[in-house]
Amino acid sequence: MFQNNREGLALALPAAVFTALLFLLPVGILLSEAFRVDGQWSLQGYVDFAVKPLNQTVFLRTLKLGFLVASVSAVIGYASAFCIVNMDAKSRGRVFGLVVLPLMISPVARTYAWIVILGRTGIVNDAIVGLGLSDTPIRILFTETAVFLGLLQLFLPLMIISLVSAMENLPKDVIPAARVLGANWFQVFTKVILPLTKDGLVMGGTLVFTGSLTAYIPPAILGGSKVLMLETLLYQRVNVANDFVSAGIIATILIVMSFGANLLLKRIAAARK
Amino acid sequence: MKRLFAMGAALALIAGAANAQENKLTISVYSFGTDAMTAAVFNPFEEVCGCEVVVETGNSVERMAKIEANAANPVIDVAVMSTQDALSLARKGLLQPLDVSKLSSYDDLYEAAKDPIGDNMAVGYGFYATSIVYRSDLVDIDSWADLLSDDLKGRVALPNITGTQGPLTLYMLGQALGYDDISFADTIGAVAESADDIVTFYSRSSELVQLMMQEEVIAAPVGRFAWSRFSGSDFPFKWAEPKEGQTGGMNVMLMTKDNGNEELAYQFMDYWLSTEVQTRVAELKLDSPANAKVVVSDEIAESLTYGADLINSLNMLDPAAIIDNRDAWLERWNEEVIN
Repeated sequence: MFQNNREGLALALPAAVFTALLFLLPVGILLSEAFRVDGQWSLQGYVDFAVKPLNQTVFLRTLKLGFLVASVSAVIGYASAFCIVNMDAKSRGRVFGLVVLPLMISPVARTYAWIVILGRTGIVNDAIVGLGLSDTPIRILFTETAVFLGLLQLFLPLMIISLVSAMENLPKDVIPAARVLGANWFQVFTKVILPLTKDGLVMGGTLVFTGSLTAYIPPAILGGSKVLMLETLLYQRVNVANDFVSAGIIATILIVMSFGANLLLKRIAAARK
Repeated sequence: MKRLFAMGAALALIAGAANAQENKLTISVYSFGTDAMTAAVFNPFEEVCGCEVVVETGNSVERMAKIEANAANPVIDVAVMSTQDALSLARKGLLQPLDVSKLSSYDDLYEAAKDPIGDNMAVGYGFYATSIVYRSDLVDIDSWADLLSDDLKGRVALPNITGTQGPLTLYMLGQALGYDDISFADTIGAVAESADDIVTFYSRSSELVQLMMQEEVIAAPVGRFAWSRFSGSDFPFKWAEPKEGQTGGMNVMLMTKDNGNEELAYQFMDYWLSTEVQTRVAELKLDSPANAKVVVSDEIAESLTYGADLINSLNMLDPAAIIDNRDAWLERWNEEVIN
C-alpha cells in the first residue's frame, strides 16, 4: 500500500506520540508507585493488600460478579442474537436499534432508574407481594443482586451486538444441514453455532467481563459501601484516604484481571479448534 | 534604546504582577453551595477590600492535600474545614496561630467557636446539629438506640464511617447503648450485629432523600445542613430530639503558615464573622451562625442550628479524639461491619 515503511510509520506517529505521552507515560508513573515501598522496588504492597480480609472479600466479589454477568449475558445474548438474525431485514433493523438505544443513554440515568424499580415500593416488590411470593417487600437495593442487575443491563447490549455480528457471518445453510443430518438443537448449538461464533463470544465476553470489573456507577449507586467492588474501593482509597499507593495496586489488579480474562477466553476459543 | 524600552516594559509588567498579587486572596472552601456563598460573601467582600477573591473548592481530602503540597510556598491563604481536618493540618505545622485582636467580631462568637482546636489555630464560623430524621407517619424516634431496634429492622440507613457524620452517629449510639469508650469497639460490634438489617451506609445526604421518599429508609442520622431538603418535601419528615441529646460539629476558618497575605486574610475572616455577614448567610440558610449576636426569624431558625441553648447542648466529639482514633475505627468497621 505504501511506497515504503516510512510512510506508514509517519502516519502512525501522531497517534503513537499522543498515546505514549498522554496515556502510557502518566499511567506508568502512577502505577509504578504501586511497586515501590520506601523508595525500593517491591511487591510488599500487594502482600499487605492481599492479607486484609475485606480486600479478599471485595476481590472475590468483583471476580464473581464479573463472571456471572458475562455468563448470563452470553446465554441471553445467544438467544437474542439468534432471534435477531432470523428476522426479516426491516424488523431486524428495528430490534437492533432497540438493543443499541440504551447505550445512548447516560449510565447514571439508567442505573438510577433501578433505585425506583427495585425499591420497596417499586414494581418488582409490588409484583412479589401481589403474587403472594412474600408477605412483605424484600430488600433488593444495596445487595449483590442489585449490582448484578445493574451491570447486566449496562453490558448486555455489548454481548448481543458482538454475537449478532458473529452470527451474521454464519453460512445460512449450516444449521438446516446439521438438522437434516440428525443433530438435535443442543448438538446444533455446541457443535455448529458455538465453534463458528466463538470469536464474537470472546469479543463480547471480554467487553462484558472487563466492563463489569471496571464499572463504577452500578456498584456505587446500587451497592453503596455495603457491597464494595474493587472499583468503589479504589475510589474510596483515593477520595477518602488520599492513598494513591493502594489505589495504584487496585488499578494494577484490575488491569491484570482484564488482560487475563481476554487471554483466557482466547485460549479457550483456540482450544476448541 | 529599543532594549531599554523592552526592559522598562518588562519591569512594569513584573511590578503590575506583584501588585495584583498583593490584592488577591485565595480561599479554599467546601463545594457545597459555592455559588450562593460567592454571591453572599465573596463578591461583596471584593467590593469592600478592592481586591480579587480566588475561590478554590474540592473535597476535604483534595483541599488538604493541596495545602500540604504547597507548604513551602502557600497558594491558599485562608481555608474553611471541619475541626478535625483543621487540627490535622495544625499538627503538621501548616497553620499559623491567629492574632484574635485583629478580628473585631471575635468577642461576639459563641464560646465554643473562639478557640476550637487550641493555640488559636482556627476560629469557628458555623455550627451544625446532627440528629435523626424520620418519617413521622411510619415510626417514632426518641432515642439513638431506636436505630438498632427491632421495629426499624431493614428500614434504617447510617452514615458511612468515612464521612463526618459516621463517627458522630457511633458516638451517640454508644451513649444510648451505655458504652463510653472512644475506641467504639462495643458500638461497632452492635452495628455489626445488625449490619444485615441496615439498608445502607450512605456517603451523601442527597442520596438519602430519595430513599426516604420511597420508604426504603424511614430513619437516618443527618446533619442539620441537609434538613431543608427533607423539610421542603411533601412527606412528613421530622427532626428527632432523642433523650440522649443531639450531636453535631463546627466548621472553622484557618490561615496557612507564612502565606504572606495576612492583612487581607484577617480582613476577610473578620468580614465573614461580622454580625452583618453572618446574619446574611443565616437568612439565606447557607450556614448556621457562630456569631451570638445574629438574630433571625423563627421560620429561618427552623432550618438552622440556631440559638445558645441548642448550640451549648450539642454533644460534640473532640477533634483530637477523632484524629487519634479514626484509622482504628475504620479498620474495625471494615473488618466487622462491611466484610
